[in-house]
Amino acid sequence: MRASKKIGFFIIPALLIYGVFYVYPTVLSLFYSITDWDGVSPAFNFVGLKNFINLFTNDTIFIKSLTNNVKFTLSASILQFLFSLGLALLLIKNTKSNVFFRALYFFPTILASVSVGFIWTFLYAPNIGPIDQLLKSLGLEWMIQDWLGDKSIAIYSIAVVKAWFHVGQMIVIFVAGLQAIPKQFYEVAKIEGASALQTFRRVTWPMIAPAATIVVAYTTIQTFKAFDLIYTMTRGGPNYSTEIIATNIYNVAFRSNKFGYAAAQSIIFLVIIGAITFLQFKLVDRYETN
Amino acid sequence: MKKVLALLLAVMLVIPVLAACGKKADTSENTNVTDNNDKDNNQDNQNQDQNKKKVTLSFVHWRGEDKDAFDEIISRFNEKYPHIDVEQTIYTSEQYVSTAHTLLQDGEAGDVFTSFPGAQFQTIRKGDLFDDITNQSFVSKFNEALITAGLEDGVQYAVPFQMVYNQPVYNKKAFEKAGVDFEGAMKDWDSWLDACQKLKDAGYVPIAFPGGDIGPGQFMNSMMMNLEPDEGIWARVLSGEAKITEDWWVKTLAHFNELNSKGYFNTSANSLKHQDGINMIASEEAAMLATGSYAISGILAKNPDLELGIISPNPASEGEKVWDGIHNATFLLGINKKSNHKEEAAMFIDFLTEKEIASYYANTTGQQLTLKDVEYTSKELMEIGEVWGPRKTRTQPRFFITDQDVQNAVLGSIQDVISGTEPQKAADNAQKLIDEILSR
Amino acid sequence: MNKKIIRNIVLCLYALAILLPLSIIFFATFKDGTELFQNIAGLPRNFSLDNYYKIFVEEKFVVYFLNSIQTTLTSVFLTLFFGSLAAYFIIRCNKILGIIIFALFAAGMMIPPQVNMIPLYNLISSFGLKNKLTGLIIANIASTLPVAVFILTGFMRSIHKELFGASKVDGANEWKIYSRVVMPLSLPSLSATGIFLFVMHWNDLLYPLLFITKRAKKTVPLALLDFQGQYVIDYQMLFTGVAIASIPMVLMYLFFQRYFIAGMSAGAVKG
Repeated sequence: MRASKKIGFFIIPALLIYGVFYVYPTVLSLFYSITDWDGVSPAFNFVGLKNFINLFTNDTIFIKSLTNNVKFTLSASILQFLFSLGLALLLIKNTKSNVFFRALYFFPTILASVSVGFIWTFLYAPNIGPIDQLLKSLGLEWMIQDWLGDKSIAIYSIAVVKAWFHVGQMIVIFVAGLQAIPKQFYEVAKIEGASALQTFRRVTWPMIAPAATIVVAYTTIQTFKAFDLIYTMTRGGPNYSTEIIATNIYNVAFRSNKFGYAAAQSIIFLVIIGAITFLQFKLVDRYETN
Repeated sequence: MKKVLALLLAVMLVIPVLAACGKKADTSENTNVTDNNDKDNNQDNQNQDQNKKKVTLSFVHWRGEDKDAFDEIISRFNEKYPHIDVEQTIYTSEQYVSTAHTLLQDGEAGDVFTSFPGAQFQTIRKGDLFDDITNQSFVSKFNEALITAGLEDGVQYAVPFQMVYNQPVYNKKAFEKAGVDFEGAMKDWDSWLDACQKLKDAGYVPIAFPGGDIGPGQFMNSMMMNLEPDEGIWARVLSGEAKITEDWWVKTLAHFNELNSKGYFNTSANSLKHQDGINMIASEEAAMLATGSYAISGILAKNPDLELGIISPNPASEGEKVWDGIHNATFLLGINKKSNHKEEAAMFIDFLTEKEIASYYANTTGQQLTLKDVEYTSKELMEIGEVWGPRKTRTQPRFFITDQDVQNAVLGSIQDVISGTEPQKAADNAQKLIDEILSR
Repeated sequence: MNKKIIRNIVLCLYALAILLPLSIIFFATFKDGTELFQNIAGLPRNFSLDNYYKIFVEEKFVVYFLNSIQTTLTSVFLTLFFGSLAAYFIIRCNKILGIIIFALFAAGMMIPPQVNMIPLYNLISSFGLKNKLTGLIIANIASTLPVAVFILTGFMRSIHKELFGASKVDGANEWKIYSRVVMPLSLPSLSATGIFLFVMHWNDLLYPLLFITKRAKKTVPLALLDFQGQYVIDYQMLFTGVAIASIPMVLMYLFFQRYFIAGMSAGAVKG
């Protein structure tokens, strides 16, 4: 008991900073979400649940941001999942060349999102951009698209960037999972004469399911939060076709000066992310106890 | 391995301390350097101003193209007033719209700042961030009729500095080569299409349209001016009396669609950035750039041999032609109400509006100004004045869409059409957004 | 044999997908505006360092650099320090309190920074911490403490309880146990977490975007974003900025590659 008292000092700095500068503002957000505060003037009114009702019944842009978020998350997750799993399967052994490839693939992860955004905006640039140039020189003009300008493909173009950015990180997680599979399992499969596909389905897949869960959950949360990349590349355009919740909150708060309304959005955002995180914990937990 | 880890940790522990020290040393050094420079340059002035406290003004704006010109002006200003330094911070015009009012709030940034007329001006005014400059002496140097964009209820909050034409820039030689007549092209919509076709046949991209940033906001003005010649139209849209699903806007969108689908715009028009548009016309790939007269200096910087002018389509028939083109008084200079250096800020604006300085700025950057007394010597400026001065131009219609969200919806409908949506449907979608915004 | 060739082709193709964009950007930093467009993918005709000179001398990039270094290292160090103290508290205090505190921090991982950025912005303003690196550092620490506490607690739980008892018998107080026993044992997880935090803080855009408007206080990512306005038509300058901004990361990555990969993955798994 005496020990506990003395040890009390240990928690103070963390609790103080976290409490004042993270928990308290979150609670304030909850408070602002029922006001019409514009963020500038000193006065505001309480509007009850009006902001929330408007969000779901009277705000096409917010609903669009939600669906864009789902599109972005799904496409980025699928790309990231397939590429990282596929490449991880080729890079299981710790040979020199494999270690090199893993390190190389990992490289983009350390770059700033702003940098990655700039790089890819240039790569995607119409006419002068390297991608269009490459397609032209290969005689594939018909494949040229308005990568970031066509409202039906812009969000997917950014999903590709997202995958390029983080596949390397996911490879590492998969490789760790794959290396943990006992060799005997494969030997048994070999003796039984299982094909490569069968081996994958019966041996590899069940064993790396926890890693897969982590990859999917992480990508999901990251794509929901992908503010930097979209803000640098398209700022949510053209015509809101790449607007996701994170950028929408920022725009509503700082461009349209509707702090109260943005706060209501952020509360909904919180609920969504909370639900996904909770699900992730549950799933990983289940695999670990198995 | 442990050694490396220990080293890493040690580095992490030590560097913050070092960096903190280094930082302090660095900043103090910096101020020393500037001090010395000033002393060298202006020993005489220095003596006079010795008692005055050194002040650094922050000047925020969005004209990256004018950075060098402002650097020069600032150094001249600094010669005259050695105790005042000016630091310019430049944003992209897009980013500026969304961040200006936030960054002005604490009074540390933007002692002198610029703003766009219309929506942004209103936001900043409502935020009470403009210092009242009605009684400043420099206001009288401006052409009264041209600075109303900064006037509200008899109070002058800011003064527009630039007088721009928000209509396409064109390459004269390209027009000649394609056999397009300047006046003829502006006659009616069909003649405009005809001109584009000729340019296309001559191997040009007729119009570089930077739909990725400022294109829609700029070109919409020429494109709608005679389809709805009434200047009160956007106020009526904002009050709900008029809808953009009406004929005038749907037709504007249909025209955008026509230009795009006939290949009169560059490909991938929705993601072209203004900078790339400038490159396209500078490299003579495109014959026109659908933004405004303010782009001319940038284009000439890339290719000084071009002969450029400005032109505007008439989107209606010859008989319906009310307006010849679009003008706008913009780059509203204002003083931050929360600034601690208002006096110095006023001195800087006053300096900017001196005849010699203003003329230097106008001619190096190719901008027409709203001042009474400016000497235009640049060829392009004189010619634009000659050709467009006598014509009837309309104040940029977009300027009257004073709600930023509504403006986004309107511009979005243009981007939608470029992406292949039917004009009527794009207008319907945008009107739905506007209804929502107005009902919230 | 065939399989191996296909495997190598796939690996090399993906390597190309990583390398090609990066090399185009890197070579662009040695080109001028005209050459960039005539010769997008090729080697620069002559390796001119003009762009670098311009960025370092005219743009005073060093200032942004020092701001970033100071902010990042201080944030990382303090987050680790406070986080490890908290983690130690959680495993040493009574069980129920430990669970409550742990849950409080873990819940923070679910809160995206966009949720509380608006009140946080006002809070930082009212404390007079706008345009101060201190404000940025505080916001950084507050937002990453949850991850740090989460990872470090997880690790410290695996330390054998007997160790604490033995130290206690030797007469060591809590601070001594923490600093002499637990910290050295936690070095691997501390370094992994540290690297994860380093990358996050160095690359962060949102907080600088909110709190910093003064040029002298800008961090590297924010300065980069501003380059967009300044160099409207000069991609090569933008990319030189990108290259310079990446240097510390690249160097750290080359030297501490293994810890990097371990740290970033731990962050992904746990955070």
